[in-house]
Amino acid sequence: MASTSDAPVIVAEGLWKSYGDIPAVRDLSFEVRPGSVFGLLGPNGAGKTTTINMLTTLLPIDAGRASVAGFDVERAPEAVRQVIGLAGQAAAIDEKLTARENLEMFGRLYKMPKPERRARVDELIEQFRMTEYADRTVSTYSGGQRRRIDVVAALIANPPALFLDEPTTGLDPRSRVELWEEIRSLADGGTAVVLTTQYLEEADRLADHIVIIDRGTVVASGTAGALKDDLDRDVLEVHFASVGDLNLAVGKMAGVTDDYGTDETSSKLTIPISEGSASSLALLRRFEDAGIPIVDFHYRRPTLDDVFMSHTDEVITGSGRSK
Amino acid sequence: MTNPTAPTPTVGDKLRWAIQDTATITWRDMIRTARQPEMLSFAVVMGLFFLLLFNYVFGGAIGAGTGVDYIQFLVPGVFVITALQGAQQTSTGLAQDLAEGVINRFRSLPMSQVAVIAGRTVADSLRNIVGVILVALVGLLMGFRFASLWGAIGAIALTVAMGYAFSWLGASIAAKIRNAEMVGMLSMFWLFPMMLASSAFTPTSAMPGWLRAFADNQPISVAADAVRALTDGTPAGSATLSALAWIVGMLIVFVPLSTRLYSRP
Ligand SMILES: Nc1ncnc2c1ncn2[C@@H]1O[C@H](COP(=O)(O)OP(=O)(O)OP(=O)(O)O)[C@@H](O)[C@H]1O
Ligand SMILES: [Mg+2]
Repeated sequence: MASTSDAPVIVAEGLWKSYGDIPAVRDLSFEVRPGSVFGLLGPNGAGKTTTINMLTTLLPIDAGRASVAGFDVERAPEAVRQVIGLAGQAAAIDEKLTARENLEMFGRLYKMPKPERRARVDELIEQFRMTEYADRTVSTYSGGQRRRIDVVAALIANPPALFLDEPTTGLDPRSRVELWEEIRSLADGGTAVVLTTQYLEEADRLADHIVIIDRGTVVASGTAGALKDDLDRDVLEVHFASVGDLNLAVGKMAGVTDDYGTDETSSKLTIPISEGSASSLALLRRFEDAGIPIVDFHYRRPTLDDVFMSHTDEVITGSGRSK
Repeated sequence: MTNPTAPTPTVGDKLRWAIQDTATITWRDMIRTARQPEMLSFAVVMGLFFLLLFNYVFGGAIGAGTGVDYIQFLVPGVFVITALQGAQQTSTGLAQDLAEGVINRFRSLPMSQVAVIAGRTVADSLRNIVGVILVALVGLLMGFRFASLWGAIGAIALTVAMGYAFSWLGASIAAKIRNAEMVGMLSMFWLFPMMLASSAFTPTSAMPGWLRAFADNQPISVAADAVRALTDGTPAGSATLSALAWIVGMLIVFVPLSTRLYSRP
């Protein structure tokens, strides 16, 4: 599958999709080359799943075109289905079958020859540490075990194009890291991967290229590093002892800047610091002078989270931004 | 940019896919049935229920009125009714399938999409064979007799074939409605009246003329009459031909219809 050339495996050109009058995806274009992981980020309802469903022949495309491995998604859906693996956002396995039977069934439907299929099923069960429960019906699995077999099912036929819609949601930290390693090694083997995620750390670690979409359209794109550099500002985080102290501190922000976020659960104030704005030291001194005790503070480079927040409609820390 | 190695399936490929995938889905549905044995027993229990109810409650009256050996009349009718219960389960089973997430994966796989329905109709028909044989065994205990072995085989084959055609009707309803409870409820309105307004349980001679015109020609009656002729070893007349015509006609209509309804996202 590490194909002869470096031509893109997955191509989306000006994709549009509306549900009724409501546009879900607007003029979305991107390319994914063999051996690379493409991260599709965006808040809830941004159009990630809609995009994946169009690319995997599940949803008709309103306008634009898409192809996988050179096959047009709309004109040759049956060819496309032979070269893709999909782990959708919603579980798509047979609950009444065991994990082994599910993998066996999907392997058959991909028309894998029997010896190869059997070997691959055993290999995947072993590799993803599912041996203990692989012969129980899926309906008895825990949420994370279920998610794991769902994602593993997409890998059965070693497809050259892999679509993973929030693959690690519900996995414990160890399983998540293992899946990351697996996705990375698949990509290193030449697979083109489209990955959506809400865990920006995941995109940061895995994705070679990231596109942030909001309301169906691209708001930022680049490598994780480039996106962070583009943000061109550092971040000051100040932790207070209580929400009461946090609110006092917010009061002291009046007249300084209104570009900040609050996180009430951890009594944290987050303030972007860029050239020309108040310095961190001045801000900290301001709180101290007002007699608001500071528990802890960090001055840090922006993370992908900050990039995400700054480009999408949500304010720096969600519910934050008082008044 | 086109990749010449990965194939766009030819007509031959598609045919091969359809057969292979139907076998795979049949295998899957049979595993599911084995894990929910109540699904098998339900159709059989319904069949036995009708057999005992009609024989002991109505048998005396109907038998006296028509002068026929009622158990000999009733068992072939109950064969057909049992197969119809199986078809009804195709309907609810497929509606359940369509509500399950695995359908979304099926839609994204390089498989014959009609196989999802075809596999289920085949699995349900295999289950029907078991059901009809069980009903026949109880019928034998109650005094029912096959005229010949070939008659028995023919009767069971015709019953299962009619059930198979009805499975595709049930699949079409399921693919349209996609709600198992709704599908189950709906069957009360078409399947139940059709069962009673037929020659499955009683000869149609006692029905009023307008009803008789319907009852004599509808598929359940022609199937029951044809099966009866096979079990009794009497000449079937036009019943067998009518039954075969119904089977073929229903398949011609409902195979493409259910496939089309299923393909909607
Ligand atoms: N079948 C549908 N009918 C109507 N609207 C829909 C349908 N499916 C999705 N939408 C809308 O389209 C938009 C995009 O949805 P989509 O599922 O693609 O978002 P997403 O980026 O995957 O979100 P999430 O992170 O929550 O999974 C949303 O506003 C959603 O409400
Ligand atoms: Mg989604």
